Amino acid sequence: MKIDVDFIAKLVNELSKKGFDDVAVKAMITDTIMSKIANSEVSVVQNWKRVGVDLYLAKEKRIFVLRFEPKSLEELYKPVETLLTLSRKIEESSIYAPLPEPTKITYSEEVFDKGIHDGMDNIGKLAEMFIEVAHREKKIDSVAGMLQMSETETVLATSKGALLEERKTFLQSYLRAFAEPDGSGQWCFTSTFLDTKELETMAFIASRYAVESRNRSVIEPGVYDVILSPMVFGNLLEYIVSMASAYSVVMGWSMFMKNKPGDKVASEHLTVLDEPRNRELPNYRSFDDEALETFNKPIIENGILKTFLHNTKTARLLGASSTANAGWISPEPWNIVVRPGNTTLDEMISEIRRGILITNNWYTRLQNYVEGLFSTVARDAIFYIENGRIVKPVTKIRIADKLPNILNNIEMMEKELYKIQWWEVSTPSKIPFVLIRNINTSKHMI
Amino acid sequence: MEDLLLYALQVAEEAGAKYAEARYHSVELQGMSSRNGALISAYSELSEGIAIRVLVDGVLGFASTNNLSRDSIREVVQKAVARARTHRNAVKKPIELSEARLGRVKYSVNPVKKFSDIDVEEKISLHKLFWDSASNSVKEAKVPVATLSYTEWVEKKVVVNSDGAYVESSIPRISIYYNIVAHHPQKGYIQRLETLGASGGLEWLEKWNVVGAAADEARKLEEILLTAVEPPKDSVPVVVGSEIVALIVHESCGHPSEADRILGREAAQAGRSFIKPSMIGYRIGNENATVIDDPTIPGSYGYYLYDDEGVAARPRYLYKEGLINEFLHNRETAKIFGVESNAAARAMDYTSEPIVRMANTYLKPGDHRFEELLEDVKLGVYIKSYMEWNIDDERWSQRYVGLEAYLIEHGELTKLVRNPVLELTTKSFYSSIDAVGKELRFYAGTCGKGEPMQGVPVWFGGPDVRLKNIRLGVAI
Repeated sequence: MKIDVDFIAKLVNELSKKGFDDVAVKAMITDTIMSKIANSEVSVVQNWKRVGVDLYLAKEKRIFVLRFEPKSLEELYKPVETLLTLSRKIEESSIYAPLPEPTKITYSEEVFDKGIHDGMDNIGKLAEMFIEVAHREKKIDSVAGMLQMSETETVLATSKGALLEERKTFLQSYLRAFAEPDGSGQWCFTSTFLDTKELETMAFIASRYAVESRNRSVIEPGVYDVILSPMVFGNLLEYIVSMASAYSVVMGWSMFMKNKPGDKVASEHLTVLDEPRNRELPNYRSFDDEALETFNKPIIENGILKTFLHNTKTARLLGASSTANAGWISPEPWNIVVRPGNTTLDEMISEIRRGILITNNWYTRLQNYVEGLFSTVARDAIFYIENGRIVKPVTKIRIADKLPNILNNIEMMEKELYKIQWWEVSTPSKIPFVLIRNINTSKHMI
Repeated sequence: MEDLLLYALQVAEEAGAKYAEARYHSVELQGMSSRNGALISAYSELSEGIAIRVLVDGVLGFASTNNLSRDSIREVVQKAVARARTHRNAVKKPIELSEARLGRVKYSVNPVKKFSDIDVEEKISLHKLFWDSASNSVKEAKVPVATLSYTEWVEKKVVVNSDGAYVESSIPRISIYYNIVAHHPQKGYIQRLETLGASGGLEWLEKWNVVGAAADEARKLEEILLTAVEPPKDSVPVVVGSEIVALIVHESCGHPSEADRILGREAAQAGRSFIKPSMIGYRIGNENATVIDDPTIPGSYGYYLYDDEGVAARPRYLYKEGLINEFLHNRETAKIFGVESNAAARAMDYTSEPIVRMANTYLKPGDHRFEELLEDVKLGVYIKSYMEWNIDDERWSQRYVGLEAYLIEHGELTKLVRNPVLELTTKSFYSSIDAVGKELRFYAGTCGKGEPMQGVPVWFGGPDVRLKNIRLGVAI
């Protein structure tokens, strides 16, 4: 598997000669295999070999972004003549900035795990393994989930002279276990390395939650102190961090529209970082899509908004510097990491007089991004806590509150971090359990 | 292309596959986005490749590639077969496909007005007019942000399989997505997000009149900010607007009726279903609850005549007069249930396996005019549109937060109501309908399911309906 680097460099040159002022080409080859599991057996084995080419073109401040998965690379030239005609008709972009001059890129040690590379042809055995591990807990009736392994290579070239290349491997997995009559538990794992022990731990956690959450009781909705698992807090943080993208701020998709760096936006217990240089997490990268060297940075530090995430366009628009989070149009976080606290889950539980522990959620939706009004459905294992101990498993409930309340009411952070990524947490994240006071919940009453 | 697809089938058969299916699938789109009338960028996407499914030793294997050389296709197919075979110990019950009447057909949607029929300047001017209309329509409030994305796209497919299907199709689609934020210094912010979508061409722009809609939306947001009152605290009749009814039937009838979900195939992703395999004939609502999913509605966003397994599409009656009537099937689930597939297999693009999906799901209209839904109500609420919503993973407990909503007093709409929350179960919704409007309206969405997530275009629809005795909540 190899991208023709010379072809990409030549493509940039030829597009520049055609009269575009800025050209960037990002080519990606990915080879992925996934075992999808349902009812404790494989439901489908999926393989993808994809060649994708993204083009960024600007002429006289008119911007074009093109994404191709063509049947041959020669197809890339087809739309260019059309674009030249189009560039005379459309207007200047309100967010245009020239591509930056290349900087020196320091590569970290390559993240290419032979275990993943070799394991791709034997993924069936790994899938069998984690089904078996989950069923070691005898009360489990069935499990569902998936295991995916990928290797990918990216080449980026720009008309400013950058020609960069990086390859990596990664693995993503999650498992949901069911125990009659009503127990279910889910956990996930993500990494750049194959780690069968971590996959086993994932299966144990999911099956343990399934068994412990059987025979659920109903609780009334109201205001509770809540402990959110890394799965749940990771989901909410993904929304919150995406709102820290400067593009979200200018497009009306952010509760930080009213803020500027330096504002207090969260409890002092919270520090959230964007860590592209974290070699454990799949969105590890040395350079962003504008060929700037990436670096780790706090987004919120001890409750203070430190920076919006920028590319050169949003940086110029808002009078800041790029944070190397391009996205040619919208800056994006790479890997989200929360700074750990100094407590344990048991200590958090002991701090609660009346509350709930939520281990998983889904379907987070916002009424209003600017105010951060949202609700999300707690699912799988949920436990009622009274006077410092878990009393019973309970049925589904919603968190229905404001994201600013979630941020401001954080009181404790666990000292352990978990590597999280699944359907509801698409950005690879390292997150602890958190204790949040006075959160509003809701449920159907008819 | 047909040669390559047949070659893929041949390689699969030689490698030992019991069944093989090859699909050429391209999606080509263009569009542009703007903020406050100023263009941000024009964009274009092309994805084009071949998807292959094989059934080997009872294991379903899927592979895709956009390298369309014969060598590449051979390698991909052989690998799919080999990798499926390595999983045979992880399968307890071998997968089989039902018999089906498969198509040998070509069809396409011909737009009334082609995408090339108006120049790009006119498409750009739409963005400016939209912004002018939204921002100039408020008096005391301001519109700090209004964004618009316009997209036109064409999806082409050729599906062949070793059971003899050949289906070639071409469907153009058009969509608009907008976000209007209104702000008042004392009253805060409010926001309207809207998606419009259909199959066909530019004729939809005239029908949608987004410039007019921008003015209406902005004015209404201002009015809600400035004048809306709390909803009644007691149980009252609630007239649920067609926009919300449409979403409810998609979420609480369409999704739980997906046979793969009922069987647990999506249990770790889109979840399970409150519907169990034995629940055909179970009463879920009263006689007013008839929900149909129909891929064949002309102009619809979810339009198709043959599914991605080559099976002919037809309307599916999911709930019929309050009874669970039929599930959505592909050939795999149809075999398990001992029925014929009703052509619900859809894939997003060449990288996606066909899975059970909705197309255009709607509540069957009744015979009430809107005024008739209101006329007997002394005190109630009409909720016309929504902001936030969600539903649990078994599709039972759901919540919809109203955006534009009114008090009904003595049969007439009076004051605006702020943030009413309809939070109820599937059964309580379908059992509470006591009158159904006659006007059927459709709304567009992109429905997510699968792993990796596949988003497919759908319409959902319904008339306005009246529910008896509903206690509304209030969002904080």
